[in-house]
Amino acid sequence: MSNDKNLTETAKEIRKYIIEVLRPKESHHIGCSFSIVDILTLLYCRVLKTFPETPKNSRRDIFILSKGHAALAVYAILCKKGFFKKGTLMTYEQDGSWLPEHMSTKVPGVELSTGSLGHGLPVGIGFATSFINDKKKNKVVVLMSDGELNEGSNWEAIMYAGHHQLNNLTVIIDLNGFQGYAPTKKVIDLLPIKEKIIPFNWNVYEVNGHDFKAMEKVFNQIKNSRNNKPNFIIAKTVKGKGVPYFEGKFESHYKSVDEKTKTEILKDLTKKP
Amino acid sequence: MRDGIINEIYKVMAKNENTYLLTGDLGYNTLEKIENDFPKRFIDVGVAEQNMIGIAAGLALSGKKVYIYSIIPFLTMRCYEQIRNDLCFHDLDVTLLGVGAGMAYGILGSSHFALEDMAILRPLPNMAIFSPSDEIEAVAGMRYLASYKHPVYVRIGLRQEPIINDKNYKFSFGKASLIQRGLDLTIFTTGSITDEVIKASKMLETKKGIIPTIINIHTIKPIDEDLILKEAKKTKIVFTVEEHGKIGGLGSAVADIVSEFMPKRIIRIGTEDQVLKLVGTRSYLRKTLGLDAEGIYQKIIKSLS
Repeated sequence: MSNDKNLTETAKEIRKYIIEVLRPKESHHIGCSFSIVDILTLLYCRVLKTFPETPKNSRRDIFILSKGHAALAVYAILCKKGFFKKGTLMTYEQDGSWLPEHMSTKVPGVELSTGSLGHGLPVGIGFATSFINDKKKNKVVVLMSDGELNEGSNWEAIMYAGHHQLNNLTVIIDLNGFQGYAPTKKVIDLLPIKEKIIPFNWNVYEVNGHDFKAMEKVFNQIKNSRNNKPNFIIAKTVKGKGVPYFEGKFESHYKSVDEKTKTEILKDLTKKP
Repeated sequence: MRDGIINEIYKVMAKNENTYLLTGDLGYNTLEKIENDFPKRFIDVGVAEQNMIGIAAGLALSGKKVYIYSIIPFLTMRCYEQIRNDLCFHDLDVTLLGVGAGMAYGILGSSHFALEDMAILRPLPNMAIFSPSDEIEAVAGMRYLASYKHPVYVRIGLRQEPIINDKNYKFSFGKASLIQRGLDLTIFTTGSITDEVIKASKMLETKKGIIPTIINIHTIKPIDEDLILKEAKKTKIVFTVEEHGKIGGLGSAVADIVSEFMPKRIIRIGTEDQVLKLVGTRSYLRKTLGLDAEGIYQKIIKSLS
């Protein structure tokens, strides 16, 4: 249990990092960054093998953020894990920085520059194929958004990975229910996703994307599964999770926060148990 | 030209275990030897080009050398953003083998023609473009590219393209190749249409006493700027001939370079800005569109008068 407490603490710290970085006069992808903080915390603390001192170590697991607009959350956890200094994180989006709004491989620990949706999974398949053919143990995890499933390239990739039995590949869907312009239910209602994925020969898991224990259980199941299928985790999340000011609000997808609100959020995040 | 290229790739795959060949479900009667001898490193991705480019990127990011085989429009247009973001932005060791340069697919129709491919690929950072004129040049180029580690597009014909270069041909990537030194005017060309240009120049010589300089620009990018400028300076009119649209291909590339340094008349010979609804073989189409030797000869004569 104390371990879970550590995860909770880490996740809270990541949220604080994100808020600290925001610049009051500019809009940022906030809600969609917060919805994946707990998933990223579990991945980087319990699931992925990473090497902050030597980011390109050949034994590392591959993590791809296909929903590149939520890069800030990944930068924050990479910083927390020691891939680069806090001072570097604080340059986010500033003139001359190497941390843009969308994922960039200039940032140590980032495997693929993304930002256009539907690119991450095919590239993840390339890594997974390479590892399987070379009999290597490295895992590949691709985190995508629910709206991103609109992109046809993902369905090409879903068909392929199931057919080729890429059991070292895991996809996580951040099911926060919102996409760029409107709720996913209104744009293209994808539910139920599980029933659509299973026939393509995938293991599908549904989990609360903010429940560390439940998510860890899923990753243990994946670790122990021997059926040669790739893994698809549908993680139900809340947009803006962890900050009441954003939580569950559509407008948090892309938003600016004034200095006063920022201070209040930070105070709140610090005092909460 | 295609078989020569595939043979070279077979050799690379036999020598280097980190080499993969992906196909978008094409290459029937062409790729079987590679499939049989390297079953794990030959992947028919299916009819899914976006996924194919992404997979190639992932393989290359994990240290592999990747060749991708398909028909040009499917290979370059269907998945353009994947080429830009995944391959070019990450500067990966991926070779795009595009079959069916220009109107090589003739009777198959416009969906299979490649008349805009150079126009869309030229602006991409890190992307090189190799457009061989015959099998000898194609093979020489593939040998060079075997140790190249960046994105490159190879614009391939089909088979039975005439041989232009001799067996001792010395290939140099990024450097233009002089086909014939003339006196009166200069023609830059690329790809298998070079053969028509050579024939057109013979007509110019016998009928009009004009001997053109012919330069084969087999590397469209990085292009041989120095040589293009040097040769443009010597001639009154610059001609470009290509089996590609007049917009964005060799003619545009030459015009970009020359116009920056000197006032010079540049006549671009290529296909017009139109949808081709003609039906016929490649030689029929070239003839009808004025891209065979006679058509090229006529266009040059007209420009000179």
